[in-house]
Amino acid sequence: MADGPLRDIRILDLTHVWAGPLGTRILADLGATVVKIEAPMSRGPQVFPAGVTPIGGWIGGSPGDEPWNANAVLVKLQRNKQSIAIDLKTDAGRETFLDLVRIADVVIENFSARAMSGLGLDYQHLAEINPAIIYVAMPGFGASGPYRDRVAFGPTVEPMSGLTDVMGYGPDEPRNSAMALPDPVAAVSATAAVVTALRRRARTGQGAYVEMSLHEGGVALCGPWLIEHQLDGQVERIGNRHPQMAPHGVYRCSGSDAWIAIACSSDADWQALCGVLSGVEGGNLDPTSDLAHRRSAHDVIDAHISAWTQQHDKTHAAELLQAAGIAAGPLNATPDMVADPQVRERGFFVPLEPGPTLMPGSPIKMAGVSSDDWTPCPRLGADNATVLRDWLGYSETKIKALEEAKVLVDRPPA
Amino acid sequence: MDRVLEIGGFAAGYCGRLFVQGGAEVVRIESAHAPLGWVSSTALDLYLHPGKRRVLTDNPALIAELASHADIVVAEGATANVIDELGFNQWHAPVKVAITPFGRTGPKRNWRAAPNVLLAMGGYTNLMGDANRAPLTLPGHYVEFQSGGFAYTAANACRLADEANVIDISMLEVVMSLSQFTTVMWHCAGNIRSRHGSDFWSVVPTNLFQCSDGWVYVNIVPTFWDAFTVFIDHPELLVDERFTTNDLRMKNRDVLHEIIAAAVASQSRAELQARAGEHRVPIGVVLTVAEVLDDAHLAERSVWQQVTRMDGQSVRSPRPAWWLHDEPQPDLKLTPVEVVRGGN
Repeated sequence: MADGPLRDIRILDLTHVWAGPLGTRILADLGATVVKIEAPMSRGPQVFPAGVTPIGGWIGGSPGDEPWNANAVLVKLQRNKQSIAIDLKTDAGRETFLDLVRIADVVIENFSARAMSGLGLDYQHLAEINPAIIYVAMPGFGASGPYRDRVAFGPTVEPMSGLTDVMGYGPDEPRNSAMALPDPVAAVSATAAVVTALRRRARTGQGAYVEMSLHEGGVALCGPWLIEHQLDGQVERIGNRHPQMAPHGVYRCSGSDAWIAIACSSDADWQALCGVLSGVEGGNLDPTSDLAHRRSAHDVIDAHISAWTQQHDKTHAAELLQAAGIAAGPLNATPDMVADPQVRERGFFVPLEPGPTLMPGSPIKMAGVSSDDWTPCPRLGADNATVLRDWLGYSETKIKALEEAKVLVDRPPA
Repeated sequence: MDRVLEIGGFAAGYCGRLFVQGGAEVVRIESAHAPLGWVSSTALDLYLHPGKRRVLTDNPALIAELASHADIVVAEGATANVIDELGFNQWHAPVKVAITPFGRTGPKRNWRAAPNVLLAMGGYTNLMGDANRAPLTLPGHYVEFQSGGFAYTAANACRLADEANVIDISMLEVVMSLSQFTTVMWHCAGNIRSRHGSDFWSVVPTNLFQCSDGWVYVNIVPTFWDAFTVFIDHPELLVDERFTTNDLRMKNRDVLHEIIAAAVASQSRAELQARAGEHRVPIGVVLTVAEVLDDAHLAERSVWQQVTRMDGQSVRSPRPAWWLHDEPQPDLKLTPVEVVRGGN
């Protein structure tokens, strides 16, 4: 398992989909012992319908004998974790879970606002048996307020955060990121919340109830615009432009759907860019133009830049601009990303799963944290016996009885 | 409580903001060359820097001395060399975090970047915007704030373990680490994800539609399809053989979008939200930033913190995304920058 500064922290992870598992993956990469508490059907059925392929494909390229363990999108988020597959709707399953809670540091879940209380496993119940427990709830709209029972996914809370008010091609053309952006915001925020609560507990002995709503993650991201509006400043949807940098944009390069992003953040950058563009026909730009002039002439400048970038491959164009000291980079698709010499040299992508399937690593580099000791996604229920024996001292007989009663499983029900 | 020294732009600033919220004592080194934000510097100061002591200096000896008194130093630099030239390697603090666009090692460690460049290289921009048009960058400070979040978590993890460490955070790797499923989609399914405007594409219907007073986003994963047909007053779609599975809905995407567009066109956002609540379908209306500030749900959930400006007036700022119940609110006052020149 991964080593790191959180090595003494035990986390019971009941999360699913993206935000929650991504957050616990970050904590697991830092050494936390993360045990996934999985429902028997959490990874899907034993037999997938013929012809159905998960959106991210199968690890190793095919569903294999255990398709529920091969869904690439799920696998991507579960490295460095252990798995207990347990039916929490049974009395024995619930009791086993509560035994784990007694010695855990953190419980984290991202069910709807009422789900855990419906099982009698909400913070109030868990704190009774472990007052020092840190409980992180990640419902879409939080556990209170008028929207608490609304169904929420990242893409639907994004427009309610204010982000869609500023994202798009222009005033009448809003766009959603279509990337469920509140999810990764919530994931990173959840990790911050966990360490904040752990440190408070280290000082005071207090457990904590922490809410981390997807919606409020988006709102926090939009904080600067929300304040700007109160200062009577302009909040506009301006496409790829920037209110304080010009030129700033995305420009077509040679090749199919090939683009480069460029940002000039100073007059010096602009002068350097003029030098690069000087060979373009009709490319006599005024290197003394200030920001205000460049903003007013952005369309003309963009045309000149595009005339130059379309003569170049996106990677080569970026290298030429960087050599002149200008912030520029190619728009990368996945094959470009994994081939980038920068991330290759830093060993960012990790061949952890069969295939080999390169997975994004951790952006936190420090002594004692290395992908060399990482473990791949566990099979469903792979650690049932180990965790119950090692953490709780359950006997083999007791574990076997739980297995025979189908309270503990290692495959979905038939 | 920790003493934190913060140096640099919006990533370090965001990290320091989180430390203030947790009760730490934060000193921020201001630079005469402030980074360029998506809003005014006043708005960014009010968002990032209340509760910090701010010092304007370029005196390396003073910075080193402040670092020697800190438990944590968070330094953000435009390149790896900038971090080195600050004297980062010589500072004596138990936990030191460097945040740079590309990390402190590697052939591009001294490449220049702005967030739009990192979003492009990190695979985000390629996925945003319309097919057959220029891709769209993400406005705002997502890259910096997420990087600051990672820095905060890593530094606190070290402090929790009482462990000295030096942390190197690459903002490019932050973006790449937060990819949704693009990397496995390529490795495992051989597909390169592409952009389709607001349409999520592989789950239909998931798109932005115009209603009578704005826009509404629907995200109907298969389990919500039945309820959605009732929500849009077209229950007959349930048995329409063009739409009975997600695959079929993908094949007949355009005609389905036309039906939905017609169904929601005459309804207001409020009506759609109310109906969505009744039918339990996942939709979200597009709110302006003004409407977000007036949102009753956010108000009831204590999202807004009062930040005192230097003129004594106040603005509302969203608390951190998380809500640690029973934690007292910090004193969020923006104080003037102290200018320190010359020696110590």
